[in-house]
This record gives sequence, C-alpha cells and structure tokens, in this order.
Amino acid sequence: MADAGLLNLVLYLPLAGIAVIIALPAKQDDAVRWTALAVMLVQFVLAAWLYARFDAGAEGLQFETRFPWIAAWGVYYQIGLDGYNLLLVLLTTFLGPLVVAGAFSAIQKEVKLFYAMVFALQFAMLGTFLAQDLFLFYLFWETMLIPLFFIIGIWGGERRIYATLKFVLYTAFGSILMLAAVIYLVYSLNATTGVTSFAFADLYRSELPLSVQTWLLAAFALSFAIKVPIVPLHTWLPDAHVEAPTAGSVILAGVLLKMGTYGFMKLAFPLFPDATRLFAPVFQTLAVVSILYGACLALVQTDIKKIIAYSSISHLGYVMLGLISLDLLGIQGAVVQMVSHGLVAGGLFLMVGMIYERCHTRELSAYGGLAKLLPLYSVFFALLTLAAIGLPTTSGFTGEFLVLLGAFRAAWPHYVQGVGYPLLLSAGAVAGVVLGALYMLGFAQRFLFGVAKAPHQPLIDLNLREKAILGAILVAVFALGLFPEDPLRKTELAARQYQQLVAGNRTGTRMAIHPVAPLVSPAAAPPAVATDSAGSQR
Amino acid sequence: MSWQDALTAMLPEHLLLAGIVVLLVQDIVAQSTRGRLAVALAATGAACAAALLLAFAGYAAAPFPGQYSVAGIPFLGKAIVLALTVPVLLIARDETGQRAFPVLLLSSLYGACLLLSADSFITLLLGLELLSLPVYPLVLLAFRRPESAEAALKYLVLGGAATATLLMGVALLYGASGSLAISGFASALGSTDTMARVAVVLVLAALFLKAAIVPFHAWAPDAYEVAAIPVTAYMATIVKAAVLLTAVRLFGTAPVMRPLADLLAILPLVSIVWGNLAAMRQQSFRRMIAYSSIAHAGYLFYALLGAGPGRFQAVAFYLLAYAPMNVLAFASLPPETNDAARDRLDNLKGLFQRAPFAALMIAVAMLSLAGIPPFPGFIGKFLIFKNVIAAGYTLYAVAGLVGSYLGIYFYLRVIQYLFMSAGERTGVGAAPGRLALLASVICLLASLLLSVFPGWVINQF
Repeated sequence: MADAGLLNLVLYLPLAGIAVIIALPAKQDDAVRWTALAVMLVQFVLAAWLYARFDAGAEGLQFETRFPWIAAWGVYYQIGLDGYNLLLVLLTTFLGPLVVAGAFSAIQKEVKLFYAMVFALQFAMLGTFLAQDLFLFYLFWETMLIPLFFIIGIWGGERRIYATLKFVLYTAFGSILMLAAVIYLVYSLNATTGVTSFAFADLYRSELPLSVQTWLLAAFALSFAIKVPIVPLHTWLPDAHVEAPTAGSVILAGVLLKMGTYGFMKLAFPLFPDATRLFAPVFQTLAVVSILYGACLALVQTDIKKIIAYSSISHLGYVMLGLISLDLLGIQGAVVQMVSHGLVAGGLFLMVGMIYERCHTRELSAYGGLAKLLPLYSVFFALLTLAAIGLPTTSGFTGEFLVLLGAFRAAWPHYVQGVGYPLLLSAGAVAGVVLGALYMLGFAQRFLFGVAKAPHQPLIDLNLREKAILGAILVAVFALGLFPEDPLRKTELAARQYQQLVAGNRTGTRMAIHPVAPLVSPAAAPPAVATDSAGSQR
Repeated sequence: MSWQDALTAMLPEHLLLAGIVVLLVQDIVAQSTRGRLAVALAATGAACAAALLLAFAGYAAAPFPGQYSVAGIPFLGKAIVLALTVPVLLIARDETGQRAFPVLLLSSLYGACLLLSADSFITLLLGLELLSLPVYPLVLLAFRRPESAEAALKYLVLGGAATATLLMGVALLYGASGSLAISGFASALGSTDTMARVAVVLVLAALFLKAAIVPFHAWAPDAYEVAAIPVTAYMATIVKAAVLLTAVRLFGTAPVMRPLADLLAILPLVSIVWGNLAAMRQQSFRRMIAYSSIAHAGYLFYALLGAGPGRFQAVAFYLLAYAPMNVLAFASLPPETNDAARDRLDNLKGLFQRAPFAALMIAVAMLSLAGIPPFPGFIGKFLIFKNVIAAGYTLYAVAGLVGSYLGIYFYLRVIQYLFMSAGERTGVGAAPGRLALLASVICLLASLLLSVFPGWVINQF
C-alpha cells in the first residue's frame, strides 16, 4: 500500500539524510546544514500529509507495515500510526526542522557528525513511537541513547561529560530491568497461551497473575519513570538539560520526555492493568509530587535553563495525572499536554539558546529589561511564557484544563464513598497551576522588565531564521489552543481503548468488559465502541 | 572406516594441514617471510568454505567411530571458528613479522577443529592441547616487553593445570561410567553419583580456566596485554569460541539440574560482574579488553543454562556478534612504534580529530560489546537471556543483566576518550594499513548482516 510506504519513508528519511550528509565533501558546513533542514522539512510535510489522511473513525493501526523479521522468536517488523502515536509523530517531525535550523549558528565544530547524530536520534525516536512490536520498540528505545550521548557529550557545556554519562547510565539502568521484564512477559505469554509474539496487540491479551503483573509493572514503570522523569528519579534531567546544546535540550524536552509518558500509556499501564489499578494511588501521588516539587524547584533556580528544565518535570506530572485518572477527558488532556509541552518547552529552550548565543551566560541575575533591548524577542518570550502557564487560547490551557477536569471527575466518586485522598491530590495539582504561574511570571518579570541590563551589549534582535522558528512554534501553540477538536477527535479512539484496557479486569477471565469502569464516573463511561478493542487492534 | 569418509569428513582439517606443510616447506626453501600469511589465509579460507559446504550439504559421517564424527553442527562450529580467524590473519601482516606465526596459528586451528568433532575424551584432550600449545609460544613470540615471558609462563602453567584438572575429571568420569565417550558427561549432569558430580565439576573447571572465568581468569589480563595484537585477538575470540563450542558439544541438549546449574550460573555471574568492574579501572586497552572478554565468557556460559538446540544457537550467534567486534576494535587501534604507549587508553583521546574512521569503528565495536542496540551484541545478549529465562532461571537472568549494565560505563569511557576529550597530540595520525582496513570492513559487514537479518542467521543453526 502506498500510504504504508509513505510512513516507512517518514521513518527512514533520516537515515537517507545521514547518507547524504556523509557523501557531501568536507568543509562544506553550510551545505550540510541546508541539506539537513531540507530533509527534515520533507519529513514534516510527509508526516503532516499522513496526519491529514488519518481516519479518526477507524479502529486499529493505519498505514501499517507488518512482516516477520526474526520468525524463530515471533518478532515482527510492525509499524503503524494510531491515536496513541499520531500526535507525537507529528510533534517529532515538526520539531525536527526547528532543531536543525536552531543549530545553524550554535554548532560550529564537527558539523557533519552533529547533524548525523540529530538524524540518528530522529530515526530512533520515530521508530520508538511507530513500533508496534515490543522487540522493535525496545531496539529503538535503547538506540535513542547513543546519539544523545554524543550530542550532549561533544557539543555540550563545561560539565558535559558528567551530564551525558549520568544521563546514559541513569536511563540504561531502567532499560536493562525492562529488558528482563520484556523477556519474561513474552515468555509467560508463551507459557499461558502458546503464542510466541512480541506484538502489542497479542501482549494486551496476556492474563498474568497480579504478583507477576506487579513485578513487571515495576520494571517497566522504573524505565519509563526515569525517562519522564517522575520525582524522585529526575536528578539526571537538570544536568542533561543544562549541559546539552540547545538542539539537545529541545529534543530532550520536546520529544524524549514524552517517550516515558507514551511508554506508560501504550505499554506499562495497559499491559499490567490489575497492578496499575492497585498502585494507581501511588502513581497519582508521584504525579502530584512531581507537579509541586518541580514547580517549587523551578521557583528558586537562578539559571534560566534550569527553570525550564524543572518546569518540565512539573508539566509532565500533569500528563501522568491525566493518564492514571483513567477518565476519558483526563487521558485526552494528557495527550494534548504532551504535545503542548513539547511545543512550549521546546520553544523556550530555543529562546534560551538564542539569548545564550548573544550573551554567553545563563544567569538570570545578569539579565533584566530585555523588553527594551530586544523588543521582538520579548514578545515571543512573553507569549511562550503565557502558554507555559496555560492561559486560555494556548495549547497549555487545553491540556492542563482537561487533565484537571479528568482528575476531579475521577476523584469525585471516591469522595462520595468517603475516600478523600484522590480529591486532595487533584486539589494539589491545581495548586501546581498557581505555582506554575508564580515561577514563570516571576521569571518573565525579572527577565523582560525592570532595569535594562545584559552582559553583552548592544544586542541584536531576532534575525529572520529565528523569527521563522519561533513563529512556527507560536502558530502551533495557538492552533492547538484554539482548534483542539481535530487532534482530540483523532486520538479519541485510542484514549478509549487505553481506558478500556486499563480499567477492564483481566486476571483469569478474558477481557471482562465493565459497563462502568471502576474509577470513572457514569458520564465518562466508554460506549460500546471500545468492546474488545484490543482484540481488533490488529 | 573408509578412506573416502576420512578424506571428506576431515576436509577442513586436511586443508589446514596442507597449509601447515606448505608453510614448513616454504620455511626451508625460501628465506623471505613474504607470502606466508597469504598461504595461511588461503588454507583457512578454503577450510572454512569446505566446512560450510559440507554443513549445507548435510554431510554426516564417523570416520573414526567413537573418536571422531562430523555432522551439521560440528561443521558449522568449525566454519564459525575458521571464519573468525580470517580478519585476525588480515590484521596480522602489519603487526607481526614473525615467520612462526602462521604455522602456529594453523596448528592451533587444527586443534580447534579436532575439538569440535571429538566423540571421546581422548580426542577432546588431543584437540584441546593442540589448540592451546601453539598459543603459549604465540604469546611469547612478539617479545616486545620483558613482561612477555612472565605472562607466557603464567599462561603455560595455568593451561597445564587446566589439562591436569580435565584429566582428573575424565578419570573420575571413566571410573563412574566405565566409558570415555563424551556422552558420559551429559548423562553425568543428571546423575546423583558423587563421583560423577565431582567429575563434572572438574571438567567444567578446566573449561572455565581455558575460557577465563573468574576465579580462573588471572592469566588472561597479563597474557592479553603483552601478546601481539593479532594474538590477543586470537585468544579473545577464536580460543574462546572453540572452548565454548566444545562446552556446548559436551552438554548436548540435556537440561542442567540443580545444584550443578547453580555452579554453572554463579561463576559466570561473578565473571560478568567482576570482569565489568575490573575493566573500569584499566588504563591499558588490551587489559580492558581482557576483562571485558572475561565478562563475555560469563554471558557465553550463561547460554548453557538453557536446554535444547537453543544452546548452540545462542552461543554461535553470540560468538558471531562478539568476535568480529573485538577484531574490529583491534584493527582500528592507531599504529604506534612503542607497544606499551600504543596500548594506553589515553592514547585514544581525541582520536576522532586525527582518524575519524578508526574512531567511529572503535565506537561501533564498544557499543556492540556493551550490548546496546541496534548493534548485534544486543541481539546476541537478548538471545542468551531469553534462553535463561525460558529455562526458569529468572533471578540469574536479572542478575546477569544488571551485571552487564555495569559494563556500559567503561565502554562509554572509551567513546568519551575518542570523541569528547582533547588529545595530547594533534595532526593526522598514521593511517591503518590496507589489510587492516579490509578486516574492519569485513567485520563491519558481518555485524550489519547480523543486526539486519538476525532471523536468517539464526535459522542457519
């Protein structure tokens, strides 16, 4: 099918990009840059075309490719788009050209290697999102580490070696335990059903005892929680973000952190639903702790990159809260929040990179009154700040509002039954919004207003390239804030399927479908459309 | 016994022997050392092709019943061992000028081939000695450093101890079962007889010693460090491959029972952990590779925990993934006049600026050895741990995986030196020789094949 070929083209275009870059003659840095940009733009156009063609009403995978890869183990090469990965693939390909363009002036050494690594990272990230086979997923998941190791380690700041080793060793530890869990999961699927398969659709049907589910969930959750990151597994993030070059930070915040939440949504929670429901209060608590702790840490930072790094922890806490609420609105809010954070944090990191290129310091105290020095920069920065706070009409509002709505709707029935804890947690999450406004507005106030000062004057305002990059991000931010219906419609079936997979009881009996899922209020009960949606996912 | 059988079944061995004879004659008539590696290469290549052809033709025979037999799996094992030798021979030209090198190497290979067809412990012992004896002088051959003699002697003494241990085990096995057939070993695995169990432990200890498993590993770092680079590569890859494939032949497809399984799991586990930990502290590249190969021997012995044909699959695939990566790293090591200085890890700092291709090759080798996807080392490790978990040893698998995690750090440290540290020297370094380049490309293509079509490769076993 031609469309499936197109999806494969989107995935493998970065590899072609590497080949072209290597073939270019040495010392042609500008040619390398423009080639990289062109390849990334083509990739985005193709992905956008696929997004437009995506059928919101069709269940299961679209544009699917599937053929046996390691037949002896039941490993298939299976990729496809569904409601889970649709927006994230679009986000990844959208940020691709911006990252490349943003690095035009910042990266001056080993230009070829840099863009080759960015392409390799792009390839691995898209592969992780698109893979529908656990072996393939793990392969891409681990592959992601290598390019980022290089990107932070070669083009990073002063403590880059420490930061990059910490990042890799931290995440690899989670992955190695996940590998054991992956093998065990597939082996027990084989032992219970006689099917040797790594396909997600088959694994969703595994019926494991609660004790096994708990162990496997722990291993998967550890790996994903490190990536998100959830407090207290977040300590690699500030180091990696601060030391990474702008491009690394943007990819890290924009896409890589979503790997964790995507992993929870696509794998950890639906694969082990009983354990997930048992430990839902733990995940909820950790999510709210991440929201509040990340916000508090952001409040006291003096390094502008660190403020945004810690705000990421806080914002991804909302995603986790939405996912674990198991309320349809919460889940959809989480999906939107993932994309929104990718755009906003990516944009903010790009802006930090732009000011750093001009002034070579990230100390907040060195700046002030930029509104007078860099008027256009300040306008963009103010708008992104407002999006980060979640002001209505921006994408941040859509995501956070839906998540909080979902969290409250899920908590209310518990409160009625006399369990007030979930409601308390939801209230805590709302407090996180206030804290978010506090640190972002405080940051913007000190950064943009007051006495004009900058370590390096005179400052040149944004050039055309930078205007184009930030303009594109703002268009996306407002598009998602003003017209969220289309993305919400296209991801709704996946959200329902996720809800059904996690909320449905699966020990011993096959996919008992509850008319009303335990944690969900009647208003959000999934209609019959989700009946055995896992089975028909193929 | 028919002569045709003896001729066909032992064709790989005969070809190696022909190579040895030609080399010896050449030694007498010609003064120059030119063309000797070509002869060795031709003999190895031809033997490898013969083994592959006979394997795919489905040829099976027992020219010396009870002593020596061939079938698909022995032929494949020989083909693997011989194929792995080709890149080692390719990097040898620039590294050693010694005329004895090719003869000794072919003799050792002959031993490896004999080993993989052994039906009785007599043949096995013969093969094992023939495999090891030429390696002792090979370690000493370069004699670039005073420590060479010490290391070679250490290796010789410990190798002798391994032989003695093996003999003791075989004697006990004979006492328990009244037979010298290697099938006695597999049946002794499930035996409750104390004598048979002790025999199994002794034979296993000898294999551990040859493959450098903790606590029998002490000879490896010293010998690896002082030997010439192709010899180090030979010890790290081919000797290890031959010993492991022999172990697979001994174990057959029988499941391993506790408490032997615990012994078979714990020592390799300790090897994985200790090898990876000790490698972190090394300043010499070859010493680091020695400790890394101790850890890899641990993974390989782990594969024996799983029962059935998966054992050979896992070991063979892992060897094919692991060995070329070792050779790739050695082939890309920048040339230098002073051997000890060349070996210093610090020497690799900033290599990417001086020799980008070599730096990239070493990086690929390190990542693959660390078992990071998409490189074939990961698939090999996956296959091994899959078998271990399928055999029900989940805890050992988890412990082994965590042990393998410890290794990531020192492999990444090498990459950090290559790409992220400023070198002491600048300018373009001496380029590796054309043959070394060819060896790199062969290894790279082999690993590309393994990572893109792992299913196809596994189906061949």
